Parts: sequence; structure tokens; C-alpha cells
Amino acid sequence: MNGAKVIYADPRYTATARQADLYMPFVSGSDVAILNGLMQEIIKNGWEDKEFIAKRTKDYEKLKEVVMKDAYSLENVSKISGIPVESLKTAAEWLGTTKPGAILYSMGITQHTVGVDNVKSVANIQMLLGNLGKPGSGVNALRGQNNVQGACDMGALPVVFTAYQKVTDAAVHKKFADAWGFPDGICEPKNGYEVTVMMDVLTDNPGELKCMYIMGENPMLSDPDLNHVRHALESLEFLVVQDIFLTETAEMADVVLPAACYAERNGTQTSTERRVQMWRKAQDPPGEAKEDWQIISELAAKMGYAKQFPYQSAEEIFTEVAAVTPSYHGMNYERLSKPEALHWPCPTLEHPGTPILHKEKFSHPDGLGIFTPIEWKPPAEVPDAEYPFVLTTGRVLWHWHTGSMTRRSATLDAEVPTGWIEINPEDAKALGIKDKEKVRAVTRRGSVEVPAKVTKDIMKGIMFMPFHFAECAANILTNNALDPIAKIPEFKACAVKVEKIMEA
Amino acid sequence: MAAIGDMFYTWAADADVLKKGECGGAITALQQYALSSGMVDAVLAVRKGADIYDAVPTFITNPAEVAETAGSLHCGTLLLSKLVKDYLDSNKTARLGVTVKGCDTMGLIELAKRDAVDLDRLILLGVNCGGSVSPVLARKMIREKFEVDPDLVHKEEIDKGQFIIEYEGGHKGIKIDDLEDEGYGRRSNCRRCLYKVPRQADLACGNWGVIGDKAGKATFVEVCSKKGANLLDAAVKAGAVKTEPAIPKGIEIRGKVEGAMLNLGNKWRKKNFEALASDLWGTIGRETGRCIKCYSCIENCPVCFPAAEDLKGKSRMVISGEVPPNPMFHLRRFAHISDSCINCGQCEELCPMDIPLALFSHAIRTEGDSAFEPKLGKAPYTN
Ligand SMILES: Cc1cc2nc3c(=O)[nH]c(=O)nc-3n(C[C@H](O)[C@H](O)[C@H](O)COP(=O)(O)OP(=O)(O)OC[C@H]3O[C@@H](n4cnc5c(N)ncnc54)[C@H](O)[C@@H]3O)c2cc1C
Ligand code: SF4
Ligand code: SF4
Repeated sequence: MNGAKVIYADPRYTATARQADLYMPFVSGSDVAILNGLMQEIIKNGWEDKEFIAKRTKDYEKLKEVVMKDAYSLENVSKISGIPVESLKTAAEWLGTTKPGAILYSMGITQHTVGVDNVKSVANIQMLLGNLGKPGSGVNALRGQNNVQGACDMGALPVVFTAYQKVTDAAVHKKFADAWGFPDGICEPKNGYEVTVMMDVLTDNPGELKCMYIMGENPMLSDPDLNHVRHALESLEFLVVQDIFLTETAEMADVVLPAACYAERNGTQTSTERRVQMWRKAQDPPGEAKEDWQIISELAAKMGYAKQFPYQSAEEIFTEVAAVTPSYHGMNYERLSKPEALHWPCPTLEHPGTPILHKEKFSHPDGLGIFTPIEWKPPAEVPDAEYPFVLTTGRVLWHWHTGSMTRRSATLDAEVPTGWIEINPEDAKALGIKDKEKVRAVTRRGSVEVPAKVTKDIMKGIMFMPFHFAECAANILTNNALDPIAKIPEFKACAVKVEKIMEA
Repeated sequence: MAAIGDMFYTWAADADVLKKGECGGAITALQQYALSSGMVDAVLAVRKGADIYDAVPTFITNPAEVAETAGSLHCGTLLLSKLVKDYLDSNKTARLGVTVKGCDTMGLIELAKRDAVDLDRLILLGVNCGGSVSPVLARKMIREKFEVDPDLVHKEEIDKGQFIIEYEGGHKGIKIDDLEDEGYGRRSNCRRCLYKVPRQADLACGNWGVIGDKAGKATFVEVCSKKGANLLDAAVKAGAVKTEPAIPKGIEIRGKVEGAMLNLGNKWRKKNFEALASDLWGTIGRETGRCIKCYSCIENCPVCFPAAEDLKGKSRMVISGEVPPNPMFHLRRFAHISDSCINCGQCEELCPMDIPLALFSHAIRTEGDSAFEPKLGKAPYTN
């Protein structure tokens, strides 16, 4: 790493924490406070990048007004976050005096009711430090899957077509309607519901949504508040699930369509760095399983739209994507076949792609980066006398998501056969709980029985559960409170209590 | 009649193979002959995949397809030994002709010591090996140091101490020493490798020592076994290859180049091992502290054979579900391969966490060999 320093903030002492030069355990949900505090310390010491702020940004004074408040002094931030003042000081100094610096984050920041605020705060501190638009800098989201970026780029969101072209934009709407040429037109230029919102609509307004077609996702284990999800899916008239295994969700379906797995199909995937990479088929899918695009095309044909779905290969579909998607416009299979592939935006066939964004200007109309002053807000649900601990959830290296694939691997199952709840030794002692003892974890939404893992690798006052395991599903407990903009649920913080299981 | 120790210049009789081959196509022609004459049932060689950075090991049973494997791919950082084992295991009586570098040869010797392959079922066509370059680093090196688009390069070779590329519109060479001082060039295990001429194969072939009008158009062949002599004689008799005795001056030059390469290898050993010795436990601890327990180093090691199917479960000291694993995860593997690591570099090259594993096990092996005899007996190679 050429001597670069690593600062790591996480309530858990993970494998990554071991690599860090500075480890800062913190109370889940205190992100904005921490970042504001660091900014205050940076400004107090004059470590901000004055030239970058002057030339490339606006509204710095507004930011300053908020972050310089006494509420964000390191002493106060330390109280909110549990991070010692000394550590915060060191972090601010390293960030302020070592350039460039990159911030990498993942679901720990986004899966909050203030997820968008958290990400904007990361952008604030990076603009403050001039850490944007150059190698080794940036606001780097590490996405949870190999192709989340690609799925979002392809418009697998309820408000946009490909490459974030708004469905409500009349010109864009016409472009797609013309390109696809459906005799009866395409859906109205109106925003749809996010998945998490759909679950609420299903329970709150039965009959509004009648049918759901779920591909490669297992909300019966991965969505927050599983009792609520079950209720929602049961309210559907018709459920279709397309997956490679019979998941908990597929078990509830009226029709299951067998899909091909990653090794059985061609296509592209777009990584978190916006690199569009080729994906090559290694073997044929088993039995009746087919590639997703084939299933969809056949289904469309049955519904009378064979002409609009004439595809013979994944490449033909990519060519269509490139035609209607400005940031993919210059890409084709031949160019993508190189090992380095291409980063979007790549607007023309001659364009070399864009590994680094925002080199000269930002994407606002005036090209300036906007500082957004943000006040810290606690999570939707905070500990109280009845539920005295913060519960956070996440993944472990050995399993992926709902375990529909990884729990079928004997090797991975031997490494980690089931879930657990991590409890700090001091908390465990107070509760009279021993390592490996089965306990009951209870939140306002439900309760699960789960083995305790008493470990100093988790901060006092916080508990952690991996969410992969149906038999002790963390998401029975999590809170379905959503970020108002991104509609992402607060998987990373809710209030929990842990009880001993009394023998009858 | 060829005898063990004889040295020839050899080239393919077929004009197409002569042209496609690296140095006259002798190996390709010999493989083709061995297959069509029934001396072997299949050939294992290396074919160019998507581009010159993509070396693909290929089993061939149709003699017409052998020509596709002509030419040397210096980014082919492969080890063929376990593939050979799998092939012999699943084709119970088949015989196989294999093109082998030094590490492939040593891997097969170690497998044979463990009764995991039967060398009698193999014909080993050895290639001298100055080293191979990892494909990702090679592309970077060509872009940054040669300032050439790596996709325009159609040929690369290591010759006279230089890494040379040929591309649309020219060729360029840079001294390997300079490249390696800047972190490019051959893999670190290759730099330390002292097995340059694979004399435990049946024939040892290379370009070193080919001088005069045959320079670049023929392969220097040293006959290393009775089997090798028979193959060469039969192929000459059948008109598949042509030979002439190596020129004495060429033999002398080949010896000198080999000696120079061994000196260079020893220089790298000194450098790498002394640096490691200065903080042995610290370095091993720090580096293996990044391990994610993916088992790739074990799967790809030619001498690692997990004794228990449940290796991937837990033991007393290496408990399951822990990352990084307890250091015993690494110590037990180092102990297992301590007197047989061949320094092929696969563990290191395929480690997703870039842990310099071969450096550690190679150091253990060389230090071990200096004090003890390997449990399965002294190896016929030195590395
Ligand atoms: C990585 C590498 C490094 C070499 N370095 C030297 C050297 O320093 N000095 C020297 O005298 N000779 C070296 N050689 C040998 C030389 O390049 C020629 O292979 C040899 O002279 C035979 O020439 P030919 O025309 O008869 O071979 P061909 O008829 O062209 O046959 C070449 C054979 O090598 C196989 N092959 C190609 N790439 C690889 C690979 N990466 N791993 C295993 N097999 C492969 C092919 O499949 C084919 O069977 C090296 C070869 C390789 C592969
Ligand atoms: S380890 Fe030795 S024989 Fe193998 S590729 Fe490297 S230099 Fe060649
Ligand atoms: S290959 Fe690397 S990461 Fe994988 S088990 Fe071996 S040392 Fe660990």
C-alpha cells in the first residue's frame, strides 16, 4: 500500500479492522455526527483545500455554519459516537494532512433512515479536502453485489429508464416509446413504487397491487420485518418467482421459473467503479432452466409482444442498451472484450471511457459541487429502558445474502453452519449470558432464538446478527423505517433486548 | 542413433509448423509425431486463447490440431502437473505427451514420488525457461514502460537479457534487470528459479546455443532419457523433424547463458531471503494476516494433498468461520510442503489477497535442504 494509512470505523472489529492503522468502533447511526466533527476539526486547523473549495464548489459558508456548531465539537461527537476524542483527532489530522485520500463505504452508511444524509456528508468532507476527481481519492461506494451498479444503470429502479433517465421526462419517455415500438404504448410517465414501499402498499391498501414478478431476490429473508413481508406477499393475487433455487420466497409463488446461474449465461456486469465487463458462459443451464432474457422474451411473446422481443443473443440486447443509453453509447461487445473493458460514461465509439469522474467539473448545471449542511439525526428507533441495545445486521464472508446459494455449499456450510448474535462480554455478564448459549433476541417487530457469541470484537451496547440464516433470521427483528429519499430500510440500527430462554 | 547427453539442432520438416513454431517448431512436430504414430494417446500443450496474454492448457487427440499450440507464451504462468494427474487418473491406461517448463517437470517429479502419477505413461518435452510474466502485470508493463497498446502486441520474448515485444509498426526491447528493479518483469518466484534446463524431462529444448545459419530457425535439443532418444530417432526416421549436431561453440554459449541465469537466480535469492530473514515472523504474520481462507493455495499446490476430506471443517487449532484463520492454517501447510516446495509460484500468483506465499515456502525449502535430506529422498533437481 506504499505506506498509506487506513482508518476504519465499524462497531465490529472485523478482518478489515485488523488491517487498519486506526480503528474507531462507534455506535451505529452516529455517522453524520462523526463526519461533521471531523470537518470541524479540519477547518479549525486550516487543513481544508481552500483552492478546491473556491474554484470547484459552492455553499461552503452554509456547511461551515452547521459543522462549526458546538454540537459537533470532538467532545460532543465522542459522546454521541463512543469514539475517544484522541482517535477523532488523529483521524482528522491524517485526513487533513495526507492527500489524496479516499473514502470507501458500504451498506453500513446507506442502510439508515438518514442514508442519503450520510452519503452527502461523505461528499462534504471529500470536497472540503479536495479529494475528488483524482486518482486515490473520491467517494467510493462498495456495492453489495457484483452487478448492483449494472442493475441500477439498466433502470431496474421505479423512477428511471437506463442510465438514470427520468421516466417523468416527456422527451425521454417518447424516446423509449419510439425505440420499443409497442402498438399500445408503454407505461405512463409516472414514478413507480420502490420495493420497500410496495410491501407497505400491499398491506395498507390491499388490491392496489395484484401481481408481482420477482427475479433472483429472496425478500422473505432479505427485507426488513419479515412478518410484514409475509403478510404483504400473501396479499398478492399472483406471484411469479424466477430463481436458480427454490428460495423461501419461491415457496410462496404461484409460478416458479427456473433461471440460469452466473456461469450459465452470457452478458455484462457493471462493477461499482462503473466498469462494464464481459461475462462469458461456461456451461449450459440444467434441465428447463434458461437465461433471464430468454425467459422474458418467451413470456413477452405469449403476451403478444414477440415483435418487441426478437432477441437471439445477449449481445443484441446490449446493442439496444447502447443505442438508448448515453453513458453506454460508445460501448459494444468488441470493445468490452479487452480485459480492462470500459468505464462509463463512454459516449462515442472513439471515447476511451471515464475511469475517474468529476476531474474538471461536477454534474450540476454550473459544474460546481454543492456543500449540503446536514444536522445529525438519531436512528428511527433508539435504545430505551425496554429495548436497551442497538442491533445492527450484516453479512459474513462465508455466506451471501439469504444463503440460497452459499448454504448449499458443503465447504461454506462447514465454516459457518448457522447464525448468531454478537454480544460484548460486559453486556453478556450483566445479562448472565454465556458464549454459545441460545438466547431470545426481541424487538418491537418480533423475536428469534439464536446462539450468543460473546466476543470483545463488538462494542459494548451494540449487538450484531448476520442476516443469512432463515432459522434465526435477523430481519424478523429489523425496522422497516425508510430513508425518505432512497427508500432504503434501516437495517443497521434498531433497538433490541436479549433474554435468557427459561426451561419450562 | 541418439544417446543420452547428445545435443542437436532440430526443426520441423513441415513448412507450416516450421513457421509457426517458436524456434523451428521442433516440439510441435515431435508432439504431432508422437500422437500420430501412437506413442501417446493425447498431447497436453498450451494454446493462445483470446490474445497472447491468455495461455490455455489444451488436451489434443487429433494430430492436425497440435499445430495450434506452436509458439511460446511467456505470460503463461501455468502449472500443468495437476492437470496431468487428473488426466492420467481419469484415463486409466492412456499415455500422454506433455510440453513442460522446469516447474511443470519438478511438479511431476514430486507427484511421482508420491505415486500420484506414473512417469512411464508420460513423454516430457522440456522447454528451457528463463521465466514467465504475470499477464495482468505484462499488460501494465507494456502500456506504461514500453508505451505501446498491449492489444497491438502480437509477439513477446525474453532474449539476451531483454524483454522484447513485436507490435504493429515495430519492435522494442527493455533490459529485464531494469524492468525488475521497478517491480515489472518476471514473477518473483521465476527470478529465484534455478531450474533453467529441465534435464529430468525426456528432451530439454530451447533457443540458447543455436548459432550460425540455424539461429532462430531451430531448437537446441539435449537428449535426457532413453525415451527421449527413441522419440527423436523415430521422428527423424519418419521425416517429421530434421536434425544436425549442435555446433560446439553453440554448446559453449548455451552453457554460459545457463550459468549467467543461475547467477541471476542466486542474486535474487540472496536479496529476497535476506530481506525476509531480517523480520521473518513479523513478515509472515503480517502478510498472512490478510488471508481470507479461500483454500486456493492448497488447491493449486502440486504437492498439497489434503489427507482428510474434512480439511475444510475445523481442527483443534484452526476453528471454522474465522477470518483471518489462526496462523496454524498457514504453519501446517508450510510444514507439509517444507521439503518439497518446488517454487512454482502458483500459491502466490493465485492468492486473491496477494500474499507472497511462495517466498515463504521456497525459503523454508532451501534452508531445509541445506540442513536435512527430504523425507522422500534427495530430489533429482535443484531449486
Ligand atoms: C515461458 C517460457 C520461457 C522460455 N524461456 C526460454 C529461455 O530462457 N531459454 C531458452 O533457451 N528457451 C526458452 N524457452 C523455450 C523456447 O521458447 C522454445 O519453446 C523452444 O526453443 C522450443 O521451440 P520450438 O519452436 O521447438 O517450440 P514450438 O514448436 O513452438 O512449441 C512450443 C511448445 O511450448 C508450449 N508452451 C508455450 N507456452 C507455454 C507455457 N507458458 N508453459 C508451458 N508450455 C508452453 C507450446 O504449447 C508448445 O508445445 C521458453 C519457453 C517458454 C514457454
Ligand atoms: S518457476 Fe522456473 S520453470 Fe517455472 S515458469 Fe518460473 S522460471 Fe520457468
Ligand atoms: S490463497 Fe491466499 S487467501 Fe487463499 S487461503 Fe491461501 S493464503 Fe489465504
